[in-house]
Amino acid sequence: MKPLAQDPTLNDFGHDPWWIVLIKVVVVFAFLVVMTLFAIWYERRVVARMQVRPGPNRNGPFGLLQSLADGLKLAFKEDIMPKLADKAVFFIAPVISTVCAFTAFSIMPFGPVVSLFGHKTPLQLTDIPVAVLLVLACSGLGIYGVVLGGWASGSTYPLLGGLRSSAQMISYEVAMGLSIVAVFMTSGTMSTSGIVAAQAGSDTHWGPITAPSWYAILLLPSFVIYFVSAIGETNRAPFDLPEAESELVGGFHTEYSSLKFALFFLAEYINMVTVSALCTTLFLGGWRAPWPISLWAGANSGWWPMLWFTIKILLLLFVFVWLRGTLPRLRYDQFMRFGWKVLIPANLIWIVALSGIKTLQKSDWDGTKRTMVVVGVVILLLIVALVWPSKKEPEKLTVADQIAARPDGSFPLPPLDLVVPVNPRAKRITASREEPVTVGAPDDSTGPKEA
Amino acid sequence: MKDISLPHLNYAALAPMLILFGVACVGVLVDAFAPRKARYPIQLVVALVGLIAAFVAVVLRAGKVTAENAITAAGAVSVDKPALFLQGTLIVLGAVALLLIGERALERGGPFVAQAAITVGSDADQRQAARESGATEVFPLTIFSLSGMLLFVAANDLLTMFVALEVFSLPLYLLCALARRRRLISQEAALKYFLLGAYASAFFLFGLALLYGFAGGITFAKINESAQNGTGNITLLYAGLALVSIGLLFKAAAVPFHVWTPDVYQGAPTPVTSLMAACTKVAAFGGLLRVLYAGFDRVHWDYSPIIAAIAVLTMLVGSILAVTQTDIKRLLAYSSIANAGYLLVGVLGNSALGLSSVMFYLVAYGFTVIAAFAVITLVRDADGEATHLSRWAGLGRRSPFYATVFTVILLSFAGIPLTSGFTSKFAVFSAAGGGDQSWLVIVGVVSSMILAFPYLRVVVMMWLSEPGEQTPSVSLPGMLTSAALVIGVVITIFVGVAPQPLLHLTSEAANFIR
Amino acid sequence: MTSALHLVAAAAAAGEVTTGEKAVFFILAPIALIGAIGMVAARNAVHSALWLVLTMLSLGVFYIVQAGPFIGMVQIIVYTGAIMMLFLFVLMLVGRDASDAVIETLRGQQAWAIVLGVGFAGLLGTGLARVVGSLKVVGLEQANADGNVQGIAALLFTKYVWVFEISSALLITAAVGAMILAHVDRSLRDGTAVMSQPERMRARFEPGSYPGPKPGPGVFATSTSIATPAKLPDGTPAQRSISPILPTRELTAAEVANKQTEGR
Repeated sequence: MKPLAQDPTLNDFGHDPWWIVLIKVVVVFAFLVVMTLFAIWYERRVVARMQVRPGPNRNGPFGLLQSLADGLKLAFKEDIMPKLADKAVFFIAPVISTVCAFTAFSIMPFGPVVSLFGHKTPLQLTDIPVAVLLVLACSGLGIYGVVLGGWASGSTYPLLGGLRSSAQMISYEVAMGLSIVAVFMTSGTMSTSGIVAAQAGSDTHWGPITAPSWYAILLLPSFVIYFVSAIGETNRAPFDLPEAESELVGGFHTEYSSLKFALFFLAEYINMVTVSALCTTLFLGGWRAPWPISLWAGANSGWWPMLWFTIKILLLLFVFVWLRGTLPRLRYDQFMRFGWKVLIPANLIWIVALSGIKTLQKSDWDGTKRTMVVVGVVILLLIVALVWPSKKEPEKLTVADQIAARPDGSFPLPPLDLVVPVNPRAKRITASREEPVTVGAPDDSTGPKEA
Repeated sequence: MKDISLPHLNYAALAPMLILFGVACVGVLVDAFAPRKARYPIQLVVALVGLIAAFVAVVLRAGKVTAENAITAAGAVSVDKPALFLQGTLIVLGAVALLLIGERALERGGPFVAQAAITVGSDADQRQAARESGATEVFPLTIFSLSGMLLFVAANDLLTMFVALEVFSLPLYLLCALARRRRLISQEAALKYFLLGAYASAFFLFGLALLYGFAGGITFAKINESAQNGTGNITLLYAGLALVSIGLLFKAAAVPFHVWTPDVYQGAPTPVTSLMAACTKVAAFGGLLRVLYAGFDRVHWDYSPIIAAIAVLTMLVGSILAVTQTDIKRLLAYSSIANAGYLLVGVLGNSALGLSSVMFYLVAYGFTVIAAFAVITLVRDADGEATHLSRWAGLGRRSPFYATVFTVILLSFAGIPLTSGFTSKFAVFSAAGGGDQSWLVIVGVVSSMILAFPYLRVVVMMWLSEPGEQTPSVSLPGMLTSAALVIGVVITIFVGVAPQPLLHLTSEAANFIR
Repeated sequence: MTSALHLVAAAAAAGEVTTGEKAVFFILAPIALIGAIGMVAARNAVHSALWLVLTMLSLGVFYIVQAGPFIGMVQIIVYTGAIMMLFLFVLMLVGRDASDAVIETLRGQQAWAIVLGVGFAGLLGTGLARVVGSLKVVGLEQANADGNVQGIAALLFTKYVWVFEISSALLITAAVGAMILAHVDRSLRDGTAVMSQPERMRARFEPGSYPGPKPGPGVFATSTSIATPAKLPDGTPAQRSISPILPTRELTAAEVANKQTEGR
């Protein structure tokens, strides 16, 4: 696939009349609000499915209007201003969060150039040469909302939540920024429309199959790191430490209520949508249709791409929900260690390796020399792996040995051959059971039977 | 997108800097991976070997440098003869200061704190002061600082100079905070130095921006060309030069940008003070000379009255305030300020003679001042160094050898003939006299006479007072301190008695290439 | 907003001052100034930091408007996003009630600082104001010919490559410095400082300490009296289960024995 004629370039932007800009702004705003309402319902339904329960199903078809109803109710609740709060900052914090969340979406490419009331215009609010950096800047500023909200509440748990989130989001923003570097290096541009165009398709064909052009495949490590750090950046489970209910009540928004709380909620879900949309743009081919659909000639023109784009976002949102439904929350030190000692070094090594590959590609060496370099690097890695001192595995002890090894004063254990008498009440239900139940016996066959 | 290619880098010319950067990085890795016990010997050996290798690289380069091959790295660096001379000086002075930094025989664990993060005065702090050996990060930090200085004196544009300024300043701020004894004033010194240093850097950067506006470039060649052709706005030139000079004069400790000096010299660990007194001075004046001689040669007549006024102020304030000091380290700090004034007088010579005399002065003063601080590390009691002047009374009776050594050093500071102090002062004053700045010479001589008073007072105190209860003993120096002391004193006397070889070397080297 | 910025930046690249650029400047310049003044004047340290954030944001937009989108974004990401955030982090740790002391250690220092500061600003400001009127802007188009980001990259890797590499020394020094000044080695800590989470977890299961809650009196016991100790899993009485203020009572053998109330 060659880049299509209607692929927008940077020159296509900035020529819209004011009313088209206005329409685009309103559409982006509406898209985000609707996506938020939908995502809340979607999350609740999906998690419910995973937990084998129905989820919200009362308001509207399939309970679709549930989040709308919740949102309306939230707006009419009493707005509480804590006595110790720093009034101005307490008020401004959710505003910062929301504004940054909305602004970041302004450079997301929804589709190619289309005709809107006779005007040729790209399906994207705007694009600038440093568009992806704008998203990073917005997410960086969005942290202020969380941190200031936590601080201004004048209460301990929100403060701790705010501190945690500032440390967490800065750490994961570094990993996120680094993971995007590989995309910049490969596409040679920072504008989102340019990156989508760069993933349009490669010229290499193996029979009927075209070589993959999505950066999710070409730059797999970057994609994985981006997604992990995106979860950390949006404070989602299993990285939802700033609002860990069991430790911090509600984290930074404990003291918030009514519309201000709603704004935080809105910002959080918009951020989820934003990182998913950015992920789609950077790694999953943007608004372009995936392979089987792309065989249809009209798939990448007109308004269809908006559909593909939205579907990709929804699939990524599903992964967010899936993770939330599956993984327990990390401990804070494990979480920070993971960010600084795993994600960032892995990222740096990957970037160095990638630049090595790119240098090799650009060099005028012939095939044999290139192969030799690649083989040399592989051999070097193998030697390092061989020489690397392996960690001594501690010897595995049997249960009896472990008990024997316990020092004096340890918490006592019941005797291993303890015979627990059968509960007489249990007997009433299952009169047939005869043999006594043993605990910890080496042989499983004498274990308790199904009651 | 057009293809870009790496500019030509003359690795032979850049070798001293590259060696030191590499050695510093190795030092950081040693601290990260070597077992705690092995770190100190490895660090000391790595640092000294690195300095020797860098010195060899400088010497090898010195024979081959010409006007054509001096400039490299796309015009960012000019490794010309003055740069090589100053680099060699920095490396040798740095190596001698490193001997003091690495000394561990005088005090258990050396002069540096083991864990600077432990709260001052806490139980853990008292434990570590008594037991733990000092942080070995000081070695890579010192090497980083020296490598920054090497670049600073060779920078051929203002941006490189600014980055080099930061590279050599940042480790010094850190080193100041790491004293084992009296940690609070050490930390206070580091904070003062850092805040004021950052402020001075901001001035430098602001001036850089204005000079870019003046010349449309930041290389000295470009600035010189613009000044010569009269293109560009002259107000921007003056404002920019003034602001850049503030940044440099701060490092050189010239009045009125000197206020940090006494506090920092007193608070920093004495070996670090010696490093600052010797090497920072060399770097600061190397940079100042290059900016004024290579970049602003054309406006010499415009800036020299202002520099002259600063020189006079520096000499007088430094010498007069030195009279009132009661702490030996503060006394040396004010003496260093006054010496900055003498150096400025030499700078105003504004000729090859001025350049060579300043370089001569820097070498002579550097070795003497390191030897002086080496003696200060030796005079100690149970609480560490005894720096109050009253404690030095009667030292001559108690340990005549070290008192003699210190007397020689002080006489050299005072400018008594047959010491390096005399020859170097003579050199700068004659250069200034040649540059029609005779009135400066008169002020200089007057201030030297004032400054001689506190030195002689210390000499009198050491020899003519009875040792009292409080007179501390002089510790037996370890091998490293002895070496530093011997090198310092021998060069002080040698340069005083036979200045010819060094004079020859400096006048050979006195030509900037922009 | 970004669309407008884009337009303005495109115009600025052509080297002329458009109405849009003027508008942005005259809106944001007072805001930047107010932020700067507010930062100095604010009593509360966090408010000070926020005012500074406002100034830095305005500066970032100025850079973008002046055809330097990359440096503008970096200004916002690095200065407002990271550095000021760390600043806030520290201020919050210090506490919200910590306001700086207003006692002057040097008498008249504040007044002098204001006089000299305004004087210096006035000097530089008037000097520059007279100068910049006559300056011609040149070279912006050439610098941005291949795109702003590409232009910066080309400069960094050709003309300023040496400085670029040397600045890594600065970063290493900063990292080492942060470690020296802030990191306490665990082996030298002697248990005086706070335990880390894994250490605390291990200590909970060490001999002599019991991971669970204390057993209540009467658990697995022979009597319901609160003076009767609970039984540990191996059948020994748990002394910790009885309140220390209760008088101890000798139990008879019959009382101690299992009463076989359940089972066969």
